[in-house]
Amino acid sequence: MAEARRNPYRIYWVTWGILLVITLAMLMAEELHLPRWFLVVFLLAFMMVKATMIGGNFMHLRYEKRNLAVMVFAGIMVTSLILFLYIAPESWSVLEKIHR
Amino acid sequence: MQDAHAATMEAHWGGGAAPFGASWQKTMMWIFIVTDALLFSGLLCAYGFLRMASPMVWPKQSEVFSIAFIALMTFILITSSATMGTAVGAAKLGDRKTTARFLFLTILGGAAFLGCQAYEWTHVIHEGMRLSSNPWGAPQFGAAFFVLTGFHGTHVFSGLVILLITAIRSVVGKTPAQGVELAGLYWHFVDLVWVFIFTLFYLL
Repeated sequence: MAEARRNPYRIYWVTWGILLVITLAMLMAEELHLPRWFLVVFLLAFMMVKATMIGGNFMHLRYEKRNLAVMVFAGIMVTSLILFLYIAPESWSVLEKIHR
Repeated sequence: MQDAHAATMEAHWGGGAAPFGASWQKTMMWIFIVTDALLFSGLLCAYGFLRMASPMVWPKQSEVFSIAFIALMTFILITSSATMGTAVGAAKLGDRKTTARFLFLTILGGAAFLGCQAYEWTHVIHEGMRLSSNPWGAPQFGAAFFVLTGFHGTHVFSGLVILLITAIRSVVGKTPAQGVELAGLYWHFVDLVWVFIFTLFYLL
């Protein structure tokens, strides 16, 4: 009964609010002249938080069977990570060749 | 025999006959979203490669773009995602009026985002940004910008077409709740991709 009376759309607008606050925090961090490594870690961490909130709350992965969420998350993140880890050393070797 | 088979499936991965516990339509949508995400992942990795391998200085984004304007675009897209979520929720409750209203609000948000993007492209092209050169530094910067935001903008545009069809069909009662949900999944995915482009291209 209490469930039915609660605003069914609340989750979307709470998520919206949190996403906005995180975005503002990311923009403010840019202005603060933080050490580069800290800024990179901070921005990447909050990017992942935002992605998780969109996937979980907006795309309902929180309420789906775990298998689906794992397939989506692992499918995208593991493949991307492998791709990036193979590509990054290549870019350094290209730079080395240019400077030599 | 059937039971033994089911028990074996269960024992191996707990998935049984419906491993994702979703309809085939939704499963297919998710598989499409994963493959589409990998397209963007490839583009973002290519951008990372170009940037890391560039012997010239990478332009400072805040000197090329108005970050406040990009923040406004982000705000518009996040808001349209929230209105889309509300439309999906309303469709599940069978509230067709709210569904239609929020679908049209989402379309409005998407169109506003595309308008902002057209303005931004016009602006940087006037300033001299091209696919192979730009006045601010590493020539790969322009290519990365046009390809990343261009692919994303195309997705926003196709999302708008899907939403428009869904909204019209929903008003006349031809789209079931699941149709709205699937269109919503795609729209949220477009928002999700923007989170990555916004952080990795505009902020980092």
